[in-house]
Amino acid sequence: MTAPAETAAPTTGPVAHTPRQRRSMKTPRSVLIADKAADWVIRIGGVGVIVAVFGIMLFLAQVVVPLFTGAHVQSAFTSTQPIGTEPLFMSVVDEYKTVEVSVDNTGKMHANHIRTGAAIDIAPFDLGGKMPTAFARTPTGRELAFGFADGTLQMATLKVGGTVIDTKDVPADLRRLNEADATDGSAVYTVVSSDQTRRVSIAHEIAEPQQVAPEGTAIVAVDYRVGGSAERPTISFVTVDANGIGRLSRSESKTNMLTGKTTTSLTSSELPGLPEGVKVRTVLMTDKADEVYIVDIGGTFYRYDARDFDAPVLAETVRLVADGVQVGSVGFLIGEQSLVVGGSDGSVNVYFRLQREGAKTTDGYQLVRAHALESQPSGIVAMDVSQRGKMFVTSDSAGNVWLRHSTSEQVLLKLPPGQSVAYRTLTLAPRENGVFATGTDGKIHGWDVSAPHPESTLGTLFGKVWYEGYPEAGFTWQSSGADAFEPKLSLVPLIFGTIKATFYSLLFAIPIALGAAIYTSEFVHYKVRSVVKPTMELMASLPSVVLGFIAALILAPIVETWLAAIFFAFVMIPTGLFLSAYLWQLLPSPIALRYGGLPKFILIFAALILFGYLSYVAAPVFENLFFGGDLKAWANGERGSSAPFTAMLVFPFVFLGIFVSSDAIVTQRFGFVLRGSNRTSAGLADFLRWIATIVVAAFASYALGLVLISIGLDPRGGVVDTYVQRNTLVVGFAMGFAVIPIIYTISEDALNTVPEHLRAASLGCGATQWQTAMRVILPTAMSGVFSAVMIGMGRAVGETMIVVMAAGNTPLLDWNIFNGLRALSANIAVELPEAVRDSTLYRMLFLAALTLFVITFVVNTVAEAVRQRFRKRTAQL
Amino acid sequence: MNMQAPPPVTYDKTIYHLKRGSAGPALDIENLDLYYGPAQALYGVSMVIEKGLVTALIGPSGCGKSTLLRCINRMNDLVDNLRIDGSIKLHGENIYAKSADVIALRKRMGMVFQKPNPFPMSIFENVVYPLRVDGVRDKAVLEETCERALKSSALWNEVKDRLDQSALGMSGGQQQRLCIARAIAADPEVLLMDEPCSALDPIATAKIEELIDELAGQYTIVIVTHNMQQAARVSDNTAFMYLGRLIEYGDTEVIFQTPRSPRTQDYVTGRFG
Repeated sequence: MTAPAETAAPTTGPVAHTPRQRRSMKTPRSVLIADKAADWVIRIGGVGVIVAVFGIMLFLAQVVVPLFTGAHVQSAFTSTQPIGTEPLFMSVVDEYKTVEVSVDNTGKMHANHIRTGAAIDIAPFDLGGKMPTAFARTPTGRELAFGFADGTLQMATLKVGGTVIDTKDVPADLRRLNEADATDGSAVYTVVSSDQTRRVSIAHEIAEPQQVAPEGTAIVAVDYRVGGSAERPTISFVTVDANGIGRLSRSESKTNMLTGKTTTSLTSSELPGLPEGVKVRTVLMTDKADEVYIVDIGGTFYRYDARDFDAPVLAETVRLVADGVQVGSVGFLIGEQSLVVGGSDGSVNVYFRLQREGAKTTDGYQLVRAHALESQPSGIVAMDVSQRGKMFVTSDSAGNVWLRHSTSEQVLLKLPPGQSVAYRTLTLAPRENGVFATGTDGKIHGWDVSAPHPESTLGTLFGKVWYEGYPEAGFTWQSSGADAFEPKLSLVPLIFGTIKATFYSLLFAIPIALGAAIYTSEFVHYKVRSVVKPTMELMASLPSVVLGFIAALILAPIVETWLAAIFFAFVMIPTGLFLSAYLWQLLPSPIALRYGGLPKFILIFAALILFGYLSYVAAPVFENLFFGGDLKAWANGERGSSAPFTAMLVFPFVFLGIFVSSDAIVTQRFGFVLRGSNRTSAGLADFLRWIATIVVAAFASYALGLVLISIGLDPRGGVVDTYVQRNTLVVGFAMGFAVIPIIYTISEDALNTVPEHLRAASLGCGATQWQTAMRVILPTAMSGVFSAVMIGMGRAVGETMIVVMAAGNTPLLDWNIFNGLRALSANIAVELPEAVRDSTLYRMLFLAALTLFVITFVVNTVAEAVRQRFRKRTAQL
Repeated sequence: MNMQAPPPVTYDKTIYHLKRGSAGPALDIENLDLYYGPAQALYGVSMVIEKGLVTALIGPSGCGKSTLLRCINRMNDLVDNLRIDGSIKLHGENIYAKSADVIALRKRMGMVFQKPNPFPMSIFENVVYPLRVDGVRDKAVLEETCERALKSSALWNEVKDRLDQSALGMSGGQQQRLCIARAIAADPEVLLMDEPCSALDPIATAKIEELIDELAGQYTIVIVTHNMQQAARVSDNTAFMYLGRLIEYGDTEVIFQTPRSPRTQDYVTGRFG
């Protein structure tokens, strides 16, 4: 070891002190490049994430905005060729806004190309040379009826329709009307694409006259509807003759299969109760011919209940316009439940028939003004109603044309009066994309409009809306239904559903998760924790669809069967654990210490199982005591009193109140006495004190329960009500299962990162582990624990599959824990397949997404702000 | 360069030359053996700590002085696989008896740690924490205690106007004095200090030492320190420990000037450690 040093000395010896070769101090290029590259990659990535989030938000907003933009005019035009100026009974427009067909008051028909006014040949109806005295059309305008002075009635059909034909088949000698359209005289041809042409033509037919009123008595008003099947059509109609006699009639046609001959039978019944000499303005009847309205010139409505066809009853006589105001125009909205009444004062109101307590009518129904719309400057003279939705158009005597929507009560468009002062007829295009008026100047005035979402305003989405047939305005979500169904799109029930699901699941999850986190971080051996924690985290990895599936198919029936036991377990298990903990305290300390580890842990589980089993066994007793023997019937309000349950709800608070207030007095004295005594007797004394407090609290909360009920704070009808199998309780359990691991893991980490020296300081001051946890560890870790709760909440808000599967998807607005809910996220998942691109529903779902986004954004921002406040306190640790 | 085997370590019996206080012993440690699992950390330590005096525990790192200190208020209970033989008597009462109440015991012992460890609360709440955990809610009592403790720890004048501010905003020295105030707020019988100045600058250290001087007499103080000058300055009795054994225990002056054990001699003169 020492020998080689001597021989090596001469070579390096005296000159060994030459300056060492200095290594280069320059940073290598590769390091600089890597540094720069990393810098840029991170920078771009970060900015990219921010841009992506904002991009998503902007995209959502951009899809949603058209919901609130109402309607706009795409183009306006006035036809150039005159179309005549005689008064018109009606006018209709085809689906493609090509041809307008009108019937004048002599029964003559006119057909004109809309944009130019060019006349199109049309064969006249054969009215037998008579002048009509009354006219009716069905809402579609496809069926017409003429009444005559001799008491006869003639029905007609009119079809203005387009068919697409091959361009090869288009006749050669067409007269051009404008750049798009051409005519052969009787039809209008429009080139759709290179090889397709649309042909719009008119077909009509008139039936033989029928004698309805006594011979020679003129019919002054008529309305009719066609029902029944195509083979056996039933035509119902109501007429009023010149003598003021109203008649409800029905004609049925039967075609003999063998002879091919059609026989028509007519039955009539008289409408009673019309005053002598009534001057009828309009008659209206519903599709099913079960309601008839006769409106007189003064503005009085006679509503007949015609459910019994042979004996119609005058159900209600009512004025639907202000005194001194006449009815300017009246009509049914689609579905024939709502009546739009335009007054000579410019008012526009929508009424519908509702069953009302104390209605002074024979059938218990009453016409109720559901929507008062903005009045027009002058009296209403004409209106037309959409056959697709609740949109309609009204015009006044000054020539203002307003496009409106009944349910949302909004005026979509106010078309200014043109040069010609008034319009003879007003027509809303069948696709709600145009408004046409025949002016007194003999021209057609037209507006191409776009009103894709007339039913949605901020008010209808977030406010109360009175939908047709509903007893009052409310928050409703119902996106689809049968024919003539109006989608009811209020976001409120969905937002409420999200809040409800989140609230109840957090109510279940937070205590368990935080309790578990405090337990494992502060009270158990680290070896136990190293088993428990990964297990809990494993829980989080369960896909929520599995949880939802289990909740819906397994948990829901179990909960339903053992409802009382589960409810009881909520009381029994915590109480039982407290009890066990106290009993443990009573053990002599050598035993308590010796079995403090694993045996205690196992005992806790045993206690859990024992008290779970006890709650199962004792559930009937519990049910008898608190719920009159049957929890579900009790929840319905069918039996029992609410007092015991209310007492149970307020018990924890009363107990805490009594405990804390008595603590100040008792502990100070009592504790002094106890100080000298040993552990077991001190524990026993304390235990007795607990029992005493519990007994006192039980009585006090029962009394408080009675007081609360007497002042109207009954939990039944509020947080508990009728039981439904898929309910919020089940969602709470399942979602709790998803949320607990998240809250647990994050808060456990937060608690664990509290510096050990704080724990030592607290214990060194003589604090117990519980005091240390509550007074030092939890407040110090508050920012992390709060984050945990908020992240859990975020998960609950956005959770979809569990609520889709277990919540029953009923968009309701109640806090009943036994009823279902529909959350925003679940709604998107459920309804997406039904949403047509760019439809109102489609945009609504995007709005739901945006709302979800905003909720999460707000929750996170608030959470972060609060977290920062908590953090500040411990920042210098 | 030569690799020689170290001389076999032999252990003599502890040399005692204790300076007696006027009030008799506060703590009586008898034959204390302590094992961390299979490893023994303390070997038959026996010492009497005199009431009202300052006792310093010195020795090289890992000699077991902090472990011994933590045995006194049973802070070691939380350590896994720890086994203790022997006894520690506080005023004649064995704190390791089966029926001993650890929580009550800790209330009788204030402890100051190596690193200042105020809670993230206001200065006031920090000081009255021991009273809070005892369930004291009387505001007058709390305020009076706070003032007394802060005055005793010579902090009152510095913080009396900002008692509601966070304790974390104080300087390190102030924080340590706050911890002392917290420790004495509960009026303990014994004050245990585990290297209270090791994280402090010289000025703060001087203040703490002054404070210890003032508190001596009122409290029985046991202080663990690495700093031999500090031990010499503040303590009445000094215990020198080495490799888990108590080598020499007695009058500080004797330990630092005429130590009776050669090993103590080596240590206090800086020959090792």
